[in-house]
Amino acid sequence: MKKSDEEVELADFGRFSEPALLILVSLADGARHGYSMTEDIEAIAGVRLGPGTLYGALARLEARGLIEPLKSEDRRNPYRLTTLGERALRARLDSMMAVARTGQRRLASA
Amino acid sequence: MRWLLRLYPLRWRERYGEEFGAVLASQRASVGLVVDVIGGAIDAHLRPQFQPQGRNSDSNQCQREETMTLAMLQRCSAGGPKLSPSDRRIASRVTILSALGLAIASLVLTKIYRGAPPVQALIYASAPALSIVYGQTAYLRKRPRRTQAFVLGAGISGMYLFMLAVCLVANRL
Repeated sequence: MKKSDEEVELADFGRFSEPALLILVSLADGARHGYSMTEDIEAIAGVRLGPGTLYGALARLEARGLIEPLKSEDRRNPYRLTTLGERALRARLDSMMAVARTGQRRLASA
Repeated sequence: MRWLLRLYPLRWRERYGEEFGAVLASQRASVGLVVDVIGGAIDAHLRPQFQPQGRNSDSNQCQREETMTLAMLQRCSAGGPKLSPSDRRIASRVTILSALGLAIASLVLTKIYRGAPPVQALIYASAPALSIVYGQTAYLRKRPRRTQAFVLGAGISGMYLFMLAVCLVANRL
């Protein structure tokens, strides 16, 4: 199966690919700052990202234009998804859902 | 814990330092957290997500600081700062004399108190204590005497107390 450009971008993140995906999911419903992302990701995935991992993934996402920082008076800078980030997240989730559906279908017929 | 931020490149700190510090401060200190931050710092040095903006004095200063931090990490991974032959010679002499002293003390105390836990602990703590003596003598040579005495005393006392606890527990088994 040929991968889209967006999928290649996320797969390119190495050990940061999973944290990057979780960050994109966390930002899917609006802008958040680092601390809020950590809390949200822990609530939705049961994983507490350390600051080293969180900002390693954030820096990669920002450098590739998948997220962007918003202006803030506070020292906690919020981030939001860009259009490219939204497309990348949608493509990745579609691909994961296809894998999940196939797995469930095979388990049911086993 | 904010001192861990200094492991990151200056340019990285300028961009993310404030918010990173806020997230760091919100988390409970743990070994896992320290490992995560150090891992992130190594990644930031090895795979920087920023490209230099230009060859102005700021970027030169950034590069110098990054080189120094990388050199520091390399020294840490290689086992500490480079020792001069004189440092090594003095540290070796002190270690040999300490080994002789510990051996004599162990023999005399064993003769008097047999296998009492404090004597056992002294024997077991000897080897790690000697490595502490070597390390501290070599690396702290140019530090004030008070610092040397404190670090050496605390290191050896800590090691002895740990071994004493092990011996006391082992004797109850």
